[in-house]
Amino acid sequence: MRLFVNNVWHEITAPWLDESLLWVLREALGLTGCKYGCGQGQCGACTVLVDDEPQRACLLPAQAVAGRRITTIEGLSLNGSLNPVQQAWIDESVPQCGFCQAGQIVAATALLQRTAQPDAAEIDAALEGHLCRCGTQPRVRRAIERAAVMFQRGTSS
Amino acid sequence: MKRRAFLQGAVGLTVTFAAVASGCRAIPVIPKRPAPSAEDALGWLRHHDGKYELFVPRAEMGQQIGIALRRIAAVELGVSADRIRLRAPSSQDIERVKATVGSDSVKDFALPLAQACATLRDALAEGRTEGEIRVVERPLKQLLSMRADATANLLVVRDDLLAIVSGAPLFAADMRLPGMVYGRVLRAPVSPELGSRPVDWNDAAARRVVGFVAVVQEHNLRHANSVGLGILASTPGALDRIEQALSVRWHVDGKFEPREIDDAIDIDRHLAGGDLRHAVRDDDLDATGAWSIDLRFDVPLAAHGGIEPRAALAHFTATPTGRPRLQLFTGTQDLFYVRDVLARTLALDADDVSVQACRLGGGFGARTLALVEVEAALLARAIDRPVKLVWTRAQEFRQGFHRPPSSHRVRARIVEGRIVDWWHALVSSHILFTPAAMPLWIQRLVDIAGDQGVARGAALPYDVPRQRIAFDAVRLPVHGGPWRGLGTAPNAFVVESAIDACAVVAGSDALQFRLAMTKDVRLTAVLRGVADDAGWNAQRSEQPPSGPRRGRGLACGVYKGGSRVAVVADVEVSASGDARVVTLWCAHDCGLVVDPDGVRAQIEGCLVWCVGMVLVEALPLQTSGIAATGFAESPVPRISSLPRIEVRLLSSNATPTGAGESAMTAGAAAIANALFDATGYRASRLPARPEELARSDH
Repeated sequence: MRLFVNNVWHEITAPWLDESLLWVLREALGLTGCKYGCGQGQCGACTVLVDDEPQRACLLPAQAVAGRRITTIEGLSLNGSLNPVQQAWIDESVPQCGFCQAGQIVAATALLQRTAQPDAAEIDAALEGHLCRCGTQPRVRRAIERAAVMFQRGTSS
Repeated sequence: MKRRAFLQGAVGLTVTFAAVASGCRAIPVIPKRPAPSAEDALGWLRHHDGKYELFVPRAEMGQQIGIALRRIAAVELGVSADRIRLRAPSSQDIERVKATVGSDSVKDFALPLAQACATLRDALAEGRTEGEIRVVERPLKQLLSMRADATANLLVVRDDLLAIVSGAPLFAADMRLPGMVYGRVLRAPVSPELGSRPVDWNDAAARRVVGFVAVVQEHNLRHANSVGLGILASTPGALDRIEQALSVRWHVDGKFEPREIDDAIDIDRHLAGGDLRHAVRDDDLDATGAWSIDLRFDVPLAAHGGIEPRAALAHFTATPTGRPRLQLFTGTQDLFYVRDVLARTLALDADDVSVQACRLGGGFGARTLALVEVEAALLARAIDRPVKLVWTRAQEFRQGFHRPPSSHRVRARIVEGRIVDWWHALVSSHILFTPAAMPLWIQRLVDIAGDQGVARGAALPYDVPRQRIAFDAVRLPVHGGPWRGLGTAPNAFVVESAIDACAVVAGSDALQFRLAMTKDVRLTAVLRGVADDAGWNAQRSEQPPSGPRRGRGLACGVYKGGSRVAVVADVEVSASGDARVVTLWCAHDCGLVVDPDGVRAQIEGCLVWCVGMVLVEALPLQTSGIAATGFAESPVPRISSLPRIEVRLLSSNATPTGAGESAMTAGAAAIANALFDATGYRASRLPARPEELARSDH
């Protein structure tokens, strides 16, 4: 089985063939940015992009996404600079413990790729399935609004 | 060593340990809580060639305490903050420090660190780079970092944020070692308070699972009264399949029904049986005359709900003399307690146990015991390979400990618009001396004085002449324990809800009623501050002719005798009883602020917890244990349900006090009081139920 993750092909061999995408990413490939929070698709901490769509890696068999384009949090800043969402996250000092943040950032990135200027309801809808126990949600909203502005500047210049 | 040698060929086998005594197990390890000295603080610092390292002596779990301590060190050392590298210590890097609990990190650690840094700065200035230096403690006013705004305005590069947003490995479960396998300890699906053990299981079916490594029977795989069965696999997903294939049959001693827990703490049953055993205050008052208010409140069992499940990676090596040496990675609030428990349980010398601190994916009190760490270490010893062990979400709920439920009655007598008599009685379960770590006989000793965690936050922040504040703790068949602020959130919710009811009876404005009862200048200041920010008006506006009913509520509190907090909440309640908190304003005074953004973030976090506490959180029970296996059954607030939050920090030069739990004193009651304002319904059982809020006949 071959997985295409963050623009690199990886050959996946036994005993990882029957594992979820989350465990293959974290344990076989060492891409530990996506997290195990519940294993039930309820918390969003394991979110990665599959062909630009946010997906719960804990529920996805790795086999189901063989050959598809997978992007993890580590892949958002591949050229060495942060993407606007990551930068906005720092500018707004969003993280507290940080555990859920990769999933939130990946989901926010997908939102902004789909909807360049999301309104408050669209932001809430996109992040509704992402639980954060530290209570960073008010800052998540601000960071996405800030990133939207940065994305707009980036595309217009 | 013989056992380990025997186990080298054990892959694919069932490993059985005979029961052997290891250490004195009758007395549990009691966490030690030494206050740090400036000499200790010197040991957190390293210096070479103009560069500094600071071993952060507090668990990093979202409060960004490293940033706060780095600010202090930078100012005191007189160097830019980027020359101070933060490091998470192992138990062998620094002297024992107490657990990261109780919002004490700045309060208790800032000053010793400042003293140590000042000493190091002067020594380096004198050209000393070798030999031992001793701290010469100096007066507070000579410490540069203890001056107002000295640290708050310092620019600090947030490399911690960079690591988080780029997905760097920071947490225990992110650690990996060569040859590592994955472990889990299966337990009966009942409360660990009930005696339970595996009886039989389908070994042959488990062995056929791809990735099966071993089944481990170990008498020490015990948590409270639950004896577990260990499994090991070469991939984490195989653990689920092995668990299913094994289909373990469990023996369980006894059972209990959820109703029994309600009955055990029922405050009215306790009061009917006589006085409670412990008192925060026990003034003489007329207990039989008529009361102006007489209210009952019940706060349910609730989970911590941190998004990171507990996790540990354990690895055995040998010391130069051949003794087994344990290295363990974990995210814990109490590094040295974990080390001590591991040393005791595995019969190791404490010096041969190195516990490496990792960032915690949320602490909130949940990481104060040694649970997953013991399981990982025992399995690593059994298989003689590194073992990563991550609790499933279901294990978090079923085998962890939680905020215990509590039952309260508050009676107050009002004369000429002021409260003259106040009687608050409450019964909960032990918190500091949690049943998850303490046997019954220890709790009985504690009960001579009372578990002070249960009573935290019950003291009135007002001048009321006669007060009776009584409490008791009952050992319950489900495990309670430390939860953000211990008893503070439930107790302060009750106190400030009842104060609101008193203001209604007195016909007073909620703000003026409180201001009239306190001479505390700082409490008065946060009350006036939050009232200004929210545009508090004693004249309440009419309900709109259509649409959701609107309400506004106020509450305040003093946390652990230090930080002052006041909160105003605006809510909306739909005709069907769906409540939404629209805005929360908070004014907060924790004395000298070292890291303003960190303080704001902690306040925001507490206020989000308060929204959850009032509107969504309860951990459901079933026969003999917790019913929840996921966030679906034990919800936490989601982004769409969260309000705009406005925080005002009242800066002062008072000695720094805590901020990590302080807003738990005021948020919940402010929201509940706003719900009352909107609907006439006083939330007496949390979480507030839509069917009650929907009614219009209150």
